[in-house]
Amino acid sequence: MKAVNAVTTSWAGLSVDRPSFASVVDAELDAVHRYLVFLTGNRAVAEDLTGETFEKAFRTWRRFDPRRGTARAWLCRIARSAALDHFRSEERRRRREERYAHGAPQVEELELGRSVLEAALAQLSPAEREVVALRVLLDLDGPTAARVLGISATACSTRLSRALKRLEEMMSDARD
Amino acid sequence: MPATEIDFEREFEELVRELRAVPAAAPDSVRQRVRALGEPAPRRSLPVLPWRRSLLVLAPACALALVAAAVVHGVLNSGNNSTRAVVAGEASSGSAGAKRDTHFGALTTPVPGALRSPFVPPDPGRHQDYQAWMTLRVKDLDALTDQTNEAMRVAQSFGGYVVSLQQSTRSGQPGEADLTLRIPVARVEAALVRLSDLGTVLARQVSIVDLEQTLRQQRTRILRLKLFIARATEQLKGNLPADVRLRLQLQLQAVRQDLAAATRSNKSTLNRAALSTVSLTLTTQKTATPVEKSGGGRFERAARDAGSFLAGAGAVILFLLIVLSPVIVLVAACVLGLRTYRRREERRLLAT
Repeated sequence: MKAVNAVTTSWAGLSVDRPSFASVVDAELDAVHRYLVFLTGNRAVAEDLTGETFEKAFRTWRRFDPRRGTARAWLCRIARSAALDHFRSEERRRRREERYAHGAPQVEELELGRSVLEAALAQLSPAEREVVALRVLLDLDGPTAARVLGISATACSTRLSRALKRLEEMMSDARD
Repeated sequence: MPATEIDFEREFEELVRELRAVPAAAPDSVRQRVRALGEPAPRRSLPVLPWRRSLLVLAPACALALVAAAVVHGVLNSGNNSTRAVVAGEASSGSAGAKRDTHFGALTTPVPGALRSPFVPPDPGRHQDYQAWMTLRVKDLDALTDQTNEAMRVAQSFGGYVVSLQQSTRSGQPGEADLTLRIPVARVEAALVRLSDLGTVLARQVSIVDLEQTLRQQRTRILRLKLFIARATEQLKGNLPADVRLRLQLQLQAVRQDLAAATRSNKSTLNRAALSTVSLTLTTQKTATPVEKSGGGRFERAARDAGSFLAGAGAVILFLLIVLSPVIVLVAACVLGLRTYRRREERRLLAT
């Protein structure tokens, strides 16, 4: 599958050929949702965050510049930021509960767990899952995915390779 | 493909296929929620440039604006220097022994046609010490002698007199005559105008020192001394013990001497106020004073002024950079620290 990262607008001085927001929603909604499912490991959370992502994108739509990257990469950055905010607030909530519940740990059940693959995915860290989502599912190329993750292209490639190897090992172990 | 890129499609073909088959389409509820947002209102704004590109545009634009301002400054100021050249020469010439105290309005701008006096006039309602210095160039040694005599006649015609005259006329050398004239203050302006016609004016300078306060203090002192004398004289008419009488008589004597000195001082101040001092120098030297470097053509002056403006602007920018550099360093350190903290936090959140 060809990596979706080409800038499809053309220069005409400073004017920019921007797609409409509605067309971007239609094209990228499933991709963003899929990314968030993999990143959070929880479909319910991913649904909320998907809505939040597009609401934020709606508010900041004029800041999107097609010359700097694709709409998919831009939305993934917003989605990642929303997910990290969610993780932070979850961490604060867990700390408060631990304090009042006298140390009884709360384990968040990941919904990715029905099939062998999904069980294996649940074993990966969010960082590993998100690189798999960006590169394999969303078809972002190395440099674009690295920019979304805020790491170098080499680190991104290494992380992907490690994640896929771990997945493969876990799946073969599970089948055995 | 770069060396760092992995061909995961080939290496993990089956796994990739399975991953892509995981159902993760957005449910209808999410789809409806997002579609309900509609289309953002189009906002007419300039395209947002990346900060690097903005810097590439802004930096040359600011530099160009600065150069343009310097050029305008240079062109506007280059037209006034003909006056300054005359002004600059004044300090180096003048009569010997005269105190140049440019206490008040050293020069007025020479008016084309000299239809009115270029000299600062004295204030008729106040006592002032008015002093003027003037340097004139005359044609040759003969003209020097003639004009020196004429200057003395002018002083006398205005009710003044010549205090001193020094003239040197040696063949083959520039001639010079230095005159010190006293002219009644009320007529000094007219006298100066008349004197300036004796040759080409190379330099002129005026000093005005107000004497009102000095005179007021002198009058007060004289009054106090007279009052004491009157009281002491009255006391001496009465019956006093011998020692008291003697002491009073001695005091009276001292005070009378003080009164005489104060009166003399007051008279001298009034004389100073009544008569102005004019120091006139007549010379045959061709270039009496070196022309300041502010001469030259208009373009050169404009370029020089523009250069000074840019140098001034550069100094201000450098000063601001020096003053603000600790703040800039602090802000940069904070930004870097914050970025590092956020990255660490992200890694921690995504590692679990």
